[in-house]
Amino acid sequence: MAENQRPTSILESLGEEIVRIVTPVSICMFMVVILVSILNPNSSSSYASVGSIATIAYNESSSDTSWDKFIGALLNSLVFVAVITLATFLMVLLFYLRCVKFLKYYMGFSAFVVLGFLGGEIALFLIEEFSIPIDCFTFLVALFNFAAVGVLAVFMSKMAILVTQGYLVLIGMLVAYWFTLLPEWTTWALLVALALYDLAAVLLPVGPLRLLVELAISRDEDIPALVYEARPVVNHDSNPRDLVQRRMRVWRERNETSDNRPIAVPDSVSDGNVVSESNVDEIETSNSNPIPIISTAVRAEEGEVHPIRNTELLVPLIDNGGNVQPHGVAEASGSNENLMLEGIGLGSSGAIKLGLGDFIFYSVLVGRAAMYDYMTVYACYLAIVAGLGITLMLLAIYQKALPALPVSIALGIVFYFLTRLFLEVFVVQCSLNLLMF
Amino acid sequence: METLQNPNANTNSNPNTISSPIRVLWPTIDGSLGLSEEESVSYARRFYKFGFALLPFLWAVNCFYFWPVLRSRSFPRIRPYIVGSAIGFGVFMAIISSWALTFSIGGERLFGPVWDKLVMYNLADKVGLTGWS
Repeated sequence: MAENQRPTSILESLGEEIVRIVTPVSICMFMVVILVSILNPNSSSSYASVGSIATIAYNESSSDTSWDKFIGALLNSLVFVAVITLATFLMVLLFYLRCVKFLKYYMGFSAFVVLGFLGGEIALFLIEEFSIPIDCFTFLVALFNFAAVGVLAVFMSKMAILVTQGYLVLIGMLVAYWFTLLPEWTTWALLVALALYDLAAVLLPVGPLRLLVELAISRDEDIPALVYEARPVVNHDSNPRDLVQRRMRVWRERNETSDNRPIAVPDSVSDGNVVSESNVDEIETSNSNPIPIISTAVRAEEGEVHPIRNTELLVPLIDNGGNVQPHGVAEASGSNENLMLEGIGLGSSGAIKLGLGDFIFYSVLVGRAAMYDYMTVYACYLAIVAGLGITLMLLAIYQKALPALPVSIALGIVFYFLTRLFLEVFVVQCSLNLLMF
Repeated sequence: METLQNPNANTNSNPNTISSPIRVLWPTIDGSLGLSEEESVSYARRFYKFGFALLPFLWAVNCFYFWPVLRSRSFPRIRPYIVGSAIGFGVFMAIISSWALTFSIGGERLFGPVWDKLVMYNLADKVGLTGWS
């Protein structure tokens, strides 16, 4: 029983979970590819030059040498990552100071800007492209409706899950399309830099995203950020209340193992792959630790083998797990929002969460590939989905927030260049000699 | 997998036995993940009121979100707002679509030179909205 407990929570429903997270990612990528192929049809070499923070250090022009472009792109991506890091630390600070209201309004404002201005801009591009005879009143009313409802759906209130998810995908699509307007070398450098940043920010003990997630868990709050949350998997024969139990199962199990049977825990832990992570956890204990008293108590009780992250995950539940059970359905379904484990990368609870940044940069990769050829689009899409699948498998193994960018972006870039350099030559030769197609 | 369910079986069975005799009807389309009836009343009322601020799409979302309320008559407290939203959305859509259709089909023959000033792509060109920087 001991070794069954940990991985099955996700593995048993992994197929369904993967479908539920891959579908919106695919929709987002598909829409970006359509936008790119409609709006910039001949832009493998020519691109609109966008003045933004991503091109603050260097703006690429086609006359530059490759080395210049490389250095410039590197500088751009460094500046961009530095800005993102600063912004994330600022967000952690604000979250730490409990300015959740301010963060929420700021996020709502930025969502409104993205939906209203970027959405309006792209809608105008489409209107010009197809010469749709729409008048300005209708357009403005529709845009205002679209943006306002989007802000409400994403941040300000509860809304139908489908509407919220749809708006998140749309925001991802708009931002991703905007990123594809960056110069080519900058885009690639940015993607690599962000994958590395994601890796560091989620896994390093002082990484800003990790701090944010741990803070949110220890406070038992939602992070006010753009996070796509997949609808949790429901069995058809289960009644609604099962669902609530199901979403909290990961929590409940750990709660029980540590509360009732502390002696059994070292066995179950040492069975898994925690041995390989134990040194990481040692570093973590010496460093930032939000709840020092409780975790040291647990460690003293169970010895060094118990990973500290389990105890951290437990802590918010110890006071909550008791009072959720006897309450009514309504309250449980309301409060289990707070009980879920948050992760910017991927959360390891009943419902998988994927940060919107991951959506955006997957789509940027695919959109950039669409500027070259559709063959690279297919290759990149498959590579990204495979990377997402690998990340989900890793999630099932490690059961903590993981960065979703590195594997997918690495695979995507590798496959892009492989396709561009090798597969294209092969396919062109094949079709020229009438072997294929 | 069976052994996994065992420790939870006793915790699951207790609430299940309470809820299973009552056929739970949820006011929102998300079922158990959505809102309870108490919350639904305030949300439906708020969406309905906000809709008057030129937000007919919010009315549409309201109808979509509380679709079970619109279908069945078992939520008398929420239903007026949803029906109101539906009517409001219908009226607004009728007005604006008739105007937009008249505008796009009638075109320059109907409106004369004003049409060129009102159509969105000309206006965007004039104000300079289509450049990114």
